[in-house]
Amino acid sequence: MGSSAAQAEYAAFEEKVKRTVYLDNLSPKVTETVLKMALNQFGTVKSVQFIPNYMEPRNIPQCALVEMENSRQAEAVVSEISQFPFMMSGMPRPVRARPAQVEMFDGHPTKPGRRIQCRWLEPSDPDFKIATEIKRLTWKHAAEVAFLLKQQLQEEEKLASQQQDKLKGNYKKYEMIDSIMTDGTARRLARRYNLHIRDD
Amino acid sequence: MVEADGGEEDLEFKWGIKKGVGGKKKDFQFYQSFTYDGVEYELYDCVYLWVDGEPEPHIGKLVKIMETPDKKKRVKVLWFFRPCEVLKYPGVVVDTAEDELFLASGEGAGLANMNPLEAIAGKCKVVCTSKDSRNPQPSYEELQKADFIFYRAFDVKDLKVLDTIEEKVAGIEVKCLFNRPGLQKPGIVLNLDSDKKGVGGNAVASNETEVPSKRNPSKEHTTLLTNGISVDTVRKEHADSNASLVKQRASLRENPASSVGVEIGELPLSNDEMENIFTDQTKSRSKVTKNTGSKAFLDKQKSSLREHPASRIVVESESSKTNNRQDPSDNTASRSADDSVKREGKVGNIPVRRGTIGKVVLEEKVKSAKDCVDLEDRPAKKAKFDSSIKASDEKNEKNALKLSVGLDGKDPKALATLTTSEDEPRLKLTEDSQGAGKSPFKVPDEKTKHSNGKLFKASPRQFPDVDKKMVYQIMEVTRRPDADRSKWFRGLPWEERMKTANEQGTLVLLQNLDPVYTSAEVEDIVWHGFKESCTAKMIQRTSISSPHYGQAFVIFKTREAAETVVRRLDEGCLLLSNGRPLVGSIGTPCFPEKKPTFFGHYVIDKVRHQMARGMREAVSTSHCSQSNTIEYEMAMEWCLLQERSELSWKKLYKRQGEELKKLNCSFKSKWR
Repeated sequence: MGSSAAQAEYAAFEEKVKRTVYLDNLSPKVTETVLKMALNQFGTVKSVQFIPNYMEPRNIPQCALVEMENSRQAEAVVSEISQFPFMMSGMPRPVRARPAQVEMFDGHPTKPGRRIQCRWLEPSDPDFKIATEIKRLTWKHAAEVAFLLKQQLQEEEKLASQQQDKLKGNYKKYEMIDSIMTDGTARRLARRYNLHIRDD
Repeated sequence: MVEADGGEEDLEFKWGIKKGVGGKKKDFQFYQSFTYDGVEYELYDCVYLWVDGEPEPHIGKLVKIMETPDKKKRVKVLWFFRPCEVLKYPGVVVDTAEDELFLASGEGAGLANMNPLEAIAGKCKVVCTSKDSRNPQPSYEELQKADFIFYRAFDVKDLKVLDTIEEKVAGIEVKCLFNRPGLQKPGIVLNLDSDKKGVGGNAVASNETEVPSKRNPSKEHTTLLTNGISVDTVRKEHADSNASLVKQRASLRENPASSVGVEIGELPLSNDEMENIFTDQTKSRSKVTKNTGSKAFLDKQKSSLREHPASRIVVESESSKTNNRQDPSDNTASRSADDSVKREGKVGNIPVRRGTIGKVVLEEKVKSAKDCVDLEDRPAKKAKFDSSIKASDEKNEKNALKLSVGLDGKDPKALATLTTSEDEPRLKLTEDSQGAGKSPFKVPDEKTKHSNGKLFKASPRQFPDVDKKMVYQIMEVTRRPDADRSKWFRGLPWEERMKTANEQGTLVLLQNLDPVYTSAEVEDIVWHGFKESCTAKMIQRTSISSPHYGQAFVIFKTREAAETVVRRLDEGCLLLSNGRPLVGSIGTPCFPEKKPTFFGHYVIDKVRHQMARGMREAVSTSHCSQSNTIEYEMAMEWCLLQERSELSWKKLYKRQGEELKKLNCSFKSKWR
């Protein structure tokens, strides 16, 4: 492949990145069809690609790349979804939209002109120690990330259970109101307190 | 990597040379070659074929290429087995090298079958390192470039490993299964030409020329001729090559054992020279020349680089032989002569009568395990070469097979002629070459075999060695030589492959890559760093991935390779651009559960039933919430949480970035 072809390919890819939206906080029930349907409100969805999660042992929400027809549509999707909570396949946790980034794409083309070098360090090299240190740091950072992720999931779980309770409470309230309406308690009380209620 | 969606049908395809028709109704069109996706394939090429759900591509040899009456493209593939496939059978206990393959052999399922041509995923370099005399020996470069080697076969019926390749496998002449001389550069070929004889030794033989000589080393690289070019390369020997030979010889003598490694560099060179000359001469192919070829293959690379430097020199000599046929009676004669050669282990000169076609290169190599060298030369007679080479090909092959396999002669027609002569000069190369010179076949069979085995095992190891040499130097990561493999990825169920790899322990997780790297670049890095091929996949970034670290899953071919890589990364430091030392560990991917839980979407039990109906009726299940509902209120809580965690990620990554930067700055040598 000539370098100009590679450049053209890369440029085309960059265009694609621009018109793509990254969505996360997606329920596992969301499928390609659901996504297409949901985002067709904002424009035309060209393709949908879910990003597989092989790294996290926990259930983290799905994320996906949605390619729109043009970058304007993609921007519209992002701004719309960040302004209003947007529900997909369930409530009330909203999905979140971001502009896509190059690294999110599977098998993205190599940026032309990039050169990579590598070398093995001699143990006697002063850099060897530093490199070892960086390797250690890599592990540490990975552990930190894992920890934060765990933390985040716990918070989500906590919020979810809180909301579930609240919802249940709310529902119970409505149910009670319903029942006192139907069994006549409301009317009796109204008479007693001389209130006027109309049942319609 | 190319995106998958194009589908294979869209790939460029063109038939090549037609070969003939077949089938019951003569409605099958056979071909000699075709071009697919920009790659030209020929009959007997080795290819990768993907089979759904398998972690590794299968490897096979194209033995038939055809178009069916309904215009479907089919290839008949003779399979190779990977060691792991062979070793799973009870009772199969062999030492295998990691890049070794076993040729399917015998009869039964698994030998060969028809496949859609579209299943071909790319070419595969498989080099036959069989010491079989009919197999043109691969050169050092070839060995290095090879994806795989093979020299043994696996009987699909008896389920056992055979040390020799049968003379006919799946109806294919063994000649076609061996290396293709025409296409290969001979490895290290010492043409021992006579100092004594001079250039004249290169007998261009006209019809009946006898090449009497003992040292008439010319090498013939004849061809198995598969490519419709019917060029049989007749190689004559040349003053030049002689000269180079002499040079080599001289140098070898000087540095008897220790420095052979150095020589190796030179050898191929001269070799090339010869090659050129040879090609120039192809024109003269109506005349067959003599072919005594002797090839000395210094196995030094391997041994010297390895732990026992210099302790072992294996010199193989390979001679080519002309196979003449046409004259049945002659054939028989020569064949018997041949047999006797085998039996007695002695070689005399067997004059060859004239046959018609000379074309098979046989190499006979004798290796000595210790420091002895055996050489044989076989001057052959020449015959007139006629244009019917192709036709005769098959027969020749058969003959050839017989000879080296030492099978009983089922094929009386076959004839081969061998003349052996000794190669004195060669002997000098070795330290204890005494005696060896005179009786080339002196080394008992077993021994030969033995060393054979060693040789092969050793060869893969040579990579790490080479590698060691390069250690500590800056390597520019470029496309690895077989980069076209990336085509295999097309349409692969990566997840499946990863699962299998995970079970087999061949999966490695690489960390601390630059997040911008592509999967192909990771493969290249691994190739340069470890001389291992692999398939890699960068983990796609998500909103919570670290901007500092790229990660990739890499599948290696064997568990050993994976473990070695992890160990080497652990003990040493492979520094990439931007001062990133690569970190590796045995990967443990997790796969999505069947029923993942997801927090934040609720249904109230009692209304679930009604809701479900409602959902079904809804055209779309997505909407923006209204601000006066409880849903909106809760959604806001989620947004708040999302923002909060977003912030924590940012902070975390910022701190990590600073830590990294601090360390990076302390590097003494600067990296871009």
